[in-house]
Amino acid sequence: MNEELDSQLSAMFDDELPPAECELLARRLSRDEPLKARWGRYAIMGAVIRAERGVRLNAPLAGRVNAVLLAEPALAAQAAPRDRSATRLRWWQPLAGSAVAAGVAAVSILWLRSHTPDAPLAARVISPAAVGSAPAAAPQGEIYTVPVPKPPPALVPSTELANYVVAHSMFSPPVARRNLLSAFMTSEPAAAGTEEPQADVKVIAQ
Amino acid sequence: MSADASDLSLVRRVQRGDKGAFDALVLKYQHKLVKLVMRYVRNPAEAEDIAQEAFIKAYRALPQFRGDSAFYTWLYRIAINTAKNAVVSRDRSPVEYDLDRNNNDESYDMQGRMKDSETPEGLVLTDEIRSTVNAAIDALPEDLRTAIVLRELEGLSYEEIAAAMDCPVGTVRSRIFRAREAIDRRLREVFEGGLGRAEELG
Repeated sequence: MNEELDSQLSAMFDDELPPAECELLARRLSRDEPLKARWGRYAIMGAVIRAERGVRLNAPLAGRVNAVLLAEPALAAQAAPRDRSATRLRWWQPLAGSAVAAGVAAVSILWLRSHTPDAPLAARVISPAAVGSAPAAAPQGEIYTVPVPKPPPALVPSTELANYVVAHSMFSPPVARRNLLSAFMTSEPAAAGTEEPQADVKVIAQ
Repeated sequence: MSADASDLSLVRRVQRGDKGAFDALVLKYQHKLVKLVMRYVRNPAEAEDIAQEAFIKAYRALPQFRGDSAFYTWLYRIAINTAKNAVVSRDRSPVEYDLDRNNNDESYDMQGRMKDSETPEGLVLTDEIRSTVNAAIDALPEDLRTAIVLRELEGLSYEEIAAAMDCPVGTVRSRIFRAREAIDRRLREVFEGGLGRAEELG
């Protein structure tokens, strides 16, 4: 007999074996008769140590119970009809799933419709800034405005680029350098358009 | 360690249709159950009949066992109810169990045996088993004997035994296993003594 297996059996008898190992050993124990006999002797040892007097240690109780249970159906077979009744009740589960999916889709459609530009209520954007910048010919009352796209942020500030060009001016012809600097100045977005960068460039360029 | 994991793994197997796993549960608890039933009926043979009935009831009720309580607690409840019903149906009063009775009282043994329907050979074998196990325990090294006695007699967990003996839990597990192995070597000789008595183990 494998000593490790017997050690596990002893620990399992005392409820001191990890559950995963219990599962494996229980499987073996239910089939392995010598192992089961050893298990039975462990129980006898305990009965003797506890001095359970009046209890017959060689009583064929387990054999008698086993003989009675041989005529009984296995429990898994008894449980089968109950499983069938349970499956009968599960017919609504796919329908419930479909209903939930349809509900989510409906909510999504409503939400999207409320956020489309042609939606009459949601598109009415009345902002003080827009009113102030509206041309004089615009009709009074409701003003339909299109949001002004924000300019993409400059990856590198134009001042730094200009400084870079000036610092490396010795490697570029003067005409090209001037063209490049003027291109930087004109391409400066209006929102960020302060005069300070141009002044900086002029100072450095000189 | 999760308590009752070993019983639960056997119970799950029975619930899946493995009768052999129930056999292991019967082997483990038969003596404890008979002892419990003997608080209601003193005759060992009658107690065994009631214990047998309790085991069969438990087997039939196992599909309803969800594991909310420990298996042995559930089993004991069935056994107590079975014993009470048996006593009522036979129009007897439960025997008062004298908790103060000394277990070493030889007169009790004799009285119990007078009511016992067991054969003389069976009595001899029970005595032989008992004396063999006791002799084997006496022959154990001190650390092994302490470990097995704390486990079986006091019902301590491995962790509690480790604390009591000031050693790692792994050492406790090893000591208890080695103690059982030493006892089992002698016990096997009794059951395999050439008289085919091993079959009577159950």
